Amino acid sequence: MKILFTAQGTGWDAKVDPRFGRCPWLVVVDSETNELTAVDNSDSSEEAHGAGPKTSRKVVELAPAVIITGNGPGGNAATVLEMLDAKIVTGAAGKTLKEAYEAFTAGTL
Amino acid sequence: MKEIVVISGKGGTGKTSITAALTYVGRGEILAADCDVDAADMHLLLAPDFGKPTDFYSGVIAKIDTEACISCGKCKAVCRFDAISIIDDKYVVSPLDCEGCGYCARVCPRDAITTPEQNVGQWFISTTRLQNQLVHARLGIGTENSGKLVAKVKAEARSLAIEKDIPYVLVDGSPGIGCPVISSLSGADYVVLVTEPTVSGLHDMRRVHQLLKQFNLPCGCVINKADLNPEFSRKIEGFLQDENIDLLARMPYHPDFTEAITQGKTIVELDGSELPEKIEILWNTIKSKLEE
Repeated sequence: MKILFTAQGTGWDAKVDPRFGRCPWLVVVDSETNELTAVDNSDSSEEAHGAGPKTSRKVVELAPAVIITGNGPGGNAATVLEMLDAKIVTGAAGKTLKEAYEAFTAGTL
Repeated sequence: MKEIVVISGKGGTGKTSITAALTYVGRGEILAADCDVDAADMHLLLAPDFGKPTDFYSGVIAKIDTEACISCGKCKAVCRFDAISIIDDKYVVSPLDCEGCGYCARVCPRDAITTPEQNVGQWFISTTRLQNQLVHARLGIGTENSGKLVAKVKAEARSLAIEKDIPYVLVDGSPGIGCPVISSLSGADYVVLVTEPTVSGLHDMRRVHQLLKQFNLPCGCVINKADLNPEFSRKIEGFLQDENIDLLARMPYHPDFTEAITQGKTIVELDGSELPEKIEILWNTIKSKLEE
C-alpha cells in the first residue's frame, strides 16, 4: 500500500506540512518495504492560484491509497482527488513522517 | 507559538476593526499579519512604518515581441479574455485584461510571446505605532491577492514570531471562501468568525464554516452589531449551537466603530463605551480556547 504525506522535507524526520496545495514535498511510503520516495512540489507554491488542484494532479499520478496531511485539501483539490478513492487523513501537521506513519498504522491518527 | 485567523465570510462585518482592537489589547504578545491583501487596511489603524519592503512576484502576463511578430492573428483569435488588440498595426496585450493563461504563447508560430512573472507589489515587516510587529503587503494597481501572497505573509509572520519568541500570530484573513482564504487557514490553531445579524452575514458564515469543517479547524464566533437585529442574532446563535461553534462574544453596535476609523485608532482606544472591556474579555476568551 502506498501512503502519501504532504511534507516539509524528504526523510522520515521531516515534518508533515499543514498545507496541502503549497507543501514543498510529496513523500510516498511503500508500506511493504518502508521505502520513501520524495516528489518535489515546490513548483505548486509558485502558482498564484490553483496550487491545490495542481498538487492533486501529481497525487493522482502517484496513486496512493492513503493521504496524510494537516488541514486537508480545499474544495477544488478535493474534487480532483475524488478520482483516486484514497483515504484522506488530516490533523498530522507538526508530526514527523515517522510519528505520523506510526500513529496511522496504530490507528491513532 | 499559536496562530489565530480571523475571517468573516461576508465583508464589512467589522472583522478588521475587531482584529486591530485585539492587536491593541494583546500588543505585548501578538504579532499581526494582514492577509486581506486585496483590501489591506490594518495599516490605517496600526500605522506601521512600512519597514523592510520586499518585491513580490505572482502570476504571469503575456508579452508580445513586436519585432518577431508576423501579425498572423492566431493569438488574438484564441484569447478568451479579449486581451489582445491591434494598435498601430501591432498586436499588443492589455495587461489589465490578460489572465496569464498562456494560450496565445502556445499557438504563436514564431514563439514571439513570452509570459514573464509579474511584480504585483511588495510585502513588509513593519513595526506599528503600538510597537508590535506587523507583516503585511501592498498590491500594485489592478493586481490581485493570491493564495501565494497569503502563504508568503503567513510564513514570514510565523518565522518572525518563532525568532522573537512572540506567543501569538493574529491573522486578518480575507472575506469569501476562495484561494486566499484557504491559504490563510492552513496551519491555523484557532479560527475566529466575525459575523453580523443579517441574512448575508449568516449565509456567508455558513459557507466559510463548511470549509473549516473540511479543514477540521476549531472555531468560535463573534456576533458584531448583535443588538441591531436581536431576532436574527438568536438565529445565528441557533446555528452556532447546532454546529458546536463557540459563541465568543456579542458585540453591540456602537458609533465608536466609525469614530475610531476616522481617527485612525482602534475601537479600544476611545473612552466612554463598553467596547474596550468587551474586547479585553474576547482576547482572554480566545486565549483560553487555545489552551483547551
